[in-house]
Parts: sequence; C-alpha cells; structure tokens
Amino acid sequence: MVENNYFVKSFEESSLVIQLVWICIIVLVFSIIFIIIYLKYLRSLLRKNDLLKIKIEKEYEASVINYLYAGNEAEEISAEQQAIIDELKSNISETFKRDILISTLLKLSYEISGEMAESIHKLYIKTGLIDYSLSKLRNKKWNIIANGIRELTLFHVKEVQDQVKIHINHPKTEVRSAMQLYLVNLFHFEGLAFLNDITTPISEWDQIQLLEVLQLHKNQKVADIKSWLKSTNESVVLFALKLAKIYNQYGVKDELMALLNHKNIKIRVDVIPLLSHLSIIEAKIILKNNFKELSLEEQIAFFEMMENVYEKTDKPFIMEHILNPNFEIKFFALKILKNLNIDEFNCFKDLTSEPEFVRIVKYIESN
Amino acid sequence: MASLIHFLFFLYSFSIIGSYIILGIISVFETIEYMKKNKFVNYNKILSSNISPSISIIAPAYNESLNIIENVRSLLSLHYANYDVIIVNDGSKDDSLEKLIKAYNLVQVDFLINEQILTQPLRKGIYKSTNPAFEKLIVVDKENGGKADALNMGLNISANKYVACIDVDCLLIEDALLKLIKPFLESIDKKVIAAGGVIRIANSCIIEQGKLLDINLPKKMLEKGQILEYLRAFLLGRMAWSRLNGLLVISGAFGLFDKKIAIGVGGYDTNTVGEDMEIIVRMRRYMEENKLKYRVAYIPDPLCWTEAPDNYKTFISQRNRWTRGTIETLRKHRKVGFNRKYNSMGILSYPYWFLFERMAPIVEVLGLIYFGYLIFNNEVGWDYIIGFIILAYLFTVLFSILAIISEELTYHQYKKKGTGFKMIMIAFLEPFVVHPFILYAAILGNKDYYFNKKKKWGAMTRKGMNKA
Repeated sequence: MVENNYFVKSFEESSLVIQLVWICIIVLVFSIIFIIIYLKYLRSLLRKNDLLKIKIEKEYEASVINYLYAGNEAEEISAEQQAIIDELKSNISETFKRDILISTLLKLSYEISGEMAESIHKLYIKTGLIDYSLSKLRNKKWNIIANGIRELTLFHVKEVQDQVKIHINHPKTEVRSAMQLYLVNLFHFEGLAFLNDITTPISEWDQIQLLEVLQLHKNQKVADIKSWLKSTNESVVLFALKLAKIYNQYGVKDELMALLNHKNIKIRVDVIPLLSHLSIIEAKIILKNNFKELSLEEQIAFFEMMENVYEKTDKPFIMEHILNPNFEIKFFALKILKNLNIDEFNCFKDLTSEPEFVRIVKYIESN
Repeated sequence: MASLIHFLFFLYSFSIIGSYIILGIISVFETIEYMKKNKFVNYNKILSSNISPSISIIAPAYNESLNIIENVRSLLSLHYANYDVIIVNDGSKDDSLEKLIKAYNLVQVDFLINEQILTQPLRKGIYKSTNPAFEKLIVVDKENGGKADALNMGLNISANKYVACIDVDCLLIEDALLKLIKPFLESIDKKVIAAGGVIRIANSCIIEQGKLLDINLPKKMLEKGQILEYLRAFLLGRMAWSRLNGLLVISGAFGLFDKKIAIGVGGYDTNTVGEDMEIIVRMRRYMEENKLKYRVAYIPDPLCWTEAPDNYKTFISQRNRWTRGTIETLRKHRKVGFNRKYNSMGILSYPYWFLFERMAPIVEVLGLIYFGYLIFNNEVGWDYIIGFIILAYLFTVLFSILAIISEELTYHQYKKKGTGFKMIMIAFLEPFVVHPFILYAAILGNKDYYFNKKKKWGAMTRKGMNKA
C-alpha cells in the first residue's frame, strides 16, 4: 500500500511529459497483453479450423459420393438422395461449412466427368448453394460479387448470364475479369460478344486467361473478329490480334493492314509479326517503303518479318542496313544477305572492323 | 542548448515511430486488398499458357559448388511455361562449372551476345545441355566481375521480355514466377518496371530436391531474430511503400524486371555493393525524368526462401554491406531527395530512407554518446530516461507481435505447436540480442564507407539448406 502510494505520488508530482509517457506505457502493456492473447487464440483457431476443415471435407465427400450412387432410373431424385440434400442444406447457412461444401463439390467435379459431373452441378442447385451465389451478385462489395460470379462459372450456371453481364464495365478489374471468364467458360466464342460493348481495358493477364479457356473448347471455330480489330478500345484490338494469330485468321487481311497506321505503337508493333505469320506479303512493301518513318521497335519487328519473306529484289534495301546502328537490324540484314547471296556476303563481311559487326559476321558464318 | 538537443531527439524518435505506425496501417490495408484480389486466381491457366510472356532467370554464382547442382535443379522445376535459366558462373575458383557440365550434360555452344552493357569477358564460354530435359538451362562462364557484372552479363544474354534476378542459393517456390509476373500483366494504366515478393529465412527448414518440405524455427537466437526482422520489414513496411508507389528496393534475392528498362538505364552498377537498391532508384529516375507512368510492384506472397547468416561475424559483414549500399545509392542519387520533380520518390521515399534508414544508426549512437555525457555530468533525468526506454522497447515489441499476427492472418506458415510462444519470446528478446549487432554493423558500414573505400563484398559462408 505504501509502495502504491509512493508510485501514485511520484506520478502526480512528475511533469506532464512523464505522465504522458507512463500513460502510453500502460496502454502499450495492455495492448501487448491483449494481442498476445489474441495471437494465442488466433493460432488455436487456425489449427482447429484446419483440422475441422479436413473432417468436414471428408464427411461432405462421403455424402456427395453416396448421393451420386444413390440415384435410380425411376425417379429424378431418390429418397436417399433427397435425405442427403436435406442434410447438406441444413449445414450451408454457416459460411465456413458452405465454403467447404463448394470446394468439395468442385474437387469432385474435376475428378469425374459426364453425367456424374452434371449431377454435382445439379446438387449445387438443389442444395440452395446457387441462391447464395446469386445473392452475392447483389452485394456491394466487389470481392463478393467476383466470388459469386466465379461460383456460377465453376458450376456452369448458364441461365443467369443477364445478371452477370451487368457487370461488364464494373469499376473493379477483378469483377470484370470474373464476368469475362464466366461468359467465355460457358458460352465459348459466343461469349466473346462482350467485346462489342466493353469500354474498359482488358489487362494482358485477363486476355491470356480468356485465350486459354477458349483453347480448351472442342469447337475451335472462331467468331468474326473484324469488328474487334476496328474497336476503339485498344485492349480489344490487342486481344483480337492474339485471336487472329492463334486461329490463323487470313480473312481479316484488310483490317490488319489498316492497323499498321494505328495510333497505338504496341498495336503497330504487334501486327507486324502477325502479318508475317499469316504470310501477307503486301505488308512488306508498305513497311519497306515507310521504313524510315517507323519507330525502332517497328523496324526491328519488320526485319524479323523480312527474315521469312525476303526476295532477291530486297537486296538493295538489305544492303542499306548491314551497318545499321541497331544490333538486331544489323544481324537480320547480314543474315538475309548471306541467304540471298553468299558471295556477296563474303565480299562485305570485311566492310568494317567494328567489333559488333565482326562478331555478328563470325556468328552467321558458323551457323 | 540542452533543451534544443532534447527536443530534436524527441522529434526524431516520434517521427520514426509515427512513420512505422502509418506504414504498418497502410500495409495492413494493402495486404487485405491483395488477399481479396488473389483469393480465387487460377494460376494454372497462365502456367500452361504458351502465350504467357517469356522470362529469363538470371542467377550469378561464385564458388557455389556445394549446392549448385541442387539449386539449378530447383530453378529448372518451376511452374511456368516460358522461361529459361541463365547461370552466370562469375569466375568461380572452385569446380562449380565442372559439376554443372557433368550433371546437366553441358556442351559449349556458339552464342551471339548483344553486348548492350559492358561486362567482364567470357572465360570458357557459354554452355547448353544436350539433354532436352534441361533445354531451359544456359550456363555462362565468365571472368570474375562481381554480382552486378554477372547480372549484366545475364541481361545481355537474355532473349526474353522479363528477367528475374536471383541469388543462386535461394529457393523459389514453384509458382514464384507466375505470382510475380501477375502485377506486370494486370497493370493497365501504369507500366510495371519491377516487382518483388516476400523473402523468408530457410535456416532449419527441411528441403528435398529443391522443394521446401517442412518449415521450422531455427534454434539460434540470431537466426530467429532475423526471421522476425524480415516479417516486420516485408509485411509491415514494403507493402505500404508499394501502395504509395515509393519502393526504392527490390531484394537482390529475388526480383522481376522489365528487361528493356533495366538495359535502357545501363543495367546494374558494378561500383556499388547495394546494386539491388541502386538499379531500382535508377529505373525510377529514368521513368520520372521521361515523364512515363510507372509502378514498382510488391506482393506479400512468400516466394523465395534464403539462407540467413547464422553467426555474428557473417551477420555483421552482411549488414555492413547493406549499410554501405544504402549510403552509396542515396549519395549517388541525392538529386532526387526532397525534389518534387520526382513525385513520391522525391518527397516521400528518399527522405524516409535518408532520415530513418541511413541516419537512424548515427542518431542512435549520438543519443548513446549524449546519454553518457549526461551521466558523466550527473545531469540525467532518470524519470525521463527510464520512461522513454521502456516506451521505445514496448513499441518495438508491439510492432513485432503485430508482424507475427499479420503473418498468421495471411500465410500462417509457422504452424507447429509452440512456435507462437517462441515467436513472442523472440519479439521480447530481439531488441537485446540482434539489434545491438545491427547498430554495430551499421556504424562499421559508415566507417568503411568513409575510411575504407576499397572494401567491397564480405564473404558469406554457405552451409547449405537442410536436406530431408
């Protein structure tokens, strides 16, 4: 008691700064005690949840497998199946259990195919999980909307496309991305119709994902991409260029040629190798005539193209560039020259003693 | 006069604590946002895609014979479609090259290098494997020129759009490239010029065939202290700087770069021991001076596991080098500091690094000297001193425990029972066991920078990560 009084007295007699410091110390001590308790609780909870998750997953897995084998031809849903549905339904009000059920259904649907997989998709609807996914679409939080769309995608719920499509120009990239993947996963090339209406940019990441989904589909008949090549949305044009390359779209020659004059340099650079890939020779003449007006990136892309489409008549042009200051252009020019006429290459190989030139010549000679 | 000195010390202390609190809060929000964004990302789609952008992993190696075979195997088994691995043997005096030749069936090949950055010349040349299983591997044997020079050689050799510069002894998680390329590909309005992820300490972890099997806390206090220090720095610091677009450093252990920009600025500076920080500052300067929109990205995923020093001698040598690297970079780019022309880098990042990273050890030592002076003259206000020391200590402990909680809520990697208690104990002990050595190393670094200019890299003795 005496000691306590001493501390209280000392505290009262000390300056304001010291009083403040000691108040901070007390706050910090209590904060530390609190967060240590929280940390202990958190670690226990995480460990417990990990174990619980494994247990519930096993239970759900067993129930779903029972459901799959409990069907009979006489009824759409057998009594045993209905009992399993009711049991699962009673659990999904808890987010934790609902998430486990969804991941279990998905895991099993990846492992099986055909009618069984269809049954799992039906189970998703019959257990009422679809209602939770649909309610997520109306949520204000972007991550919940994206998650809802993702669930509808994974369980192949085609009927709600109008509700999903309204997010086409959602301010959050993740929601737009989920919407695009929904359409392409479920409607394949037809799903790409959103490209006509999208005003927001599609990131390179999303473009790759969409293309990968498209390539998984059996029907590889691509939709008409002409209008996308003319889109005012530059990311749509870049995406259409990728489609043109993967699906060898020879029919869009005029649109591709027009893109050589596009204001976006990335589009101009990307279209050159595509023209080369599609062997559109007319592009070579245009690019060759405008070579000096091209940016360095376009010039390099053009020389890469030239490697595949050079002709004897190109020799004067090639000769102009064997001393080009750019390494790549110089390399391609010398390589093409060697292929055009080895004697002439031998004549010019000692043109200069510049080390870079000498190294390129040596490399070309020995390869 | 004494009052003014006291006021300056208080101002400095409260500014540094205030900045930690602000950065911590921003980091938490940024990490939550990141977790939300990436919770359902399907990396497998990109993993198998042939249209995903190509990446070169550049790994300089100097006398790494002990682990080189296993380290390369680990790099060759990453999950990504389009990548190659360029091992730059930087004039090693051991049998690293011979081991690589034997293990990977390497043969010398004719290779045309676009020498955009000047480097030391090749020694024996460039090797590729005759075994198609190792077609991604390129081994370059060159004269010794240091880590930066070896990385520059890798930049010259790479034919890919992006380069991942790593320490060869680091263990990358299998989808490290996938996760780190994402910020580059998803950015729409700003060009991402570099990206980094969280580095974790692998001491005492179990590794088999280049894969991390079991995560353990090491036994030595120094190693444990570094684990906590890394958690604090990466989870409560760098995420905030990423949000503020103010990152000045991507760890040399693992970072991904836009090759064109990296070469455009002249590659790594061979005259500094802080080449990882220096190149980021230079790349940022280039973008700012050319008025180009850009971002240096950072993700909280633990992508890379590295061996940390397990003895005080190596630890001090490493921290000494880090200090010199920081001083060299800040000095070289002093034009940026407090300069509005450089936006967040000029008005936020540089001043922060200068005041709270570069100057902190000096201020701390000055404080200790002044404290000694006050004791000598019997002018110590013990009530002040005791109060402020306890306050500073408790704040450090609180911040460390918050970093542990942040780790638990995000990646929960230290799962074993009892680890939580050990981590809390480290939080309480680390200020006594690790911090004094960091301070000592920083002062040595300052001394070496000003009075021992010839000093370059200290030796890091590799013991090799624990095998199963």
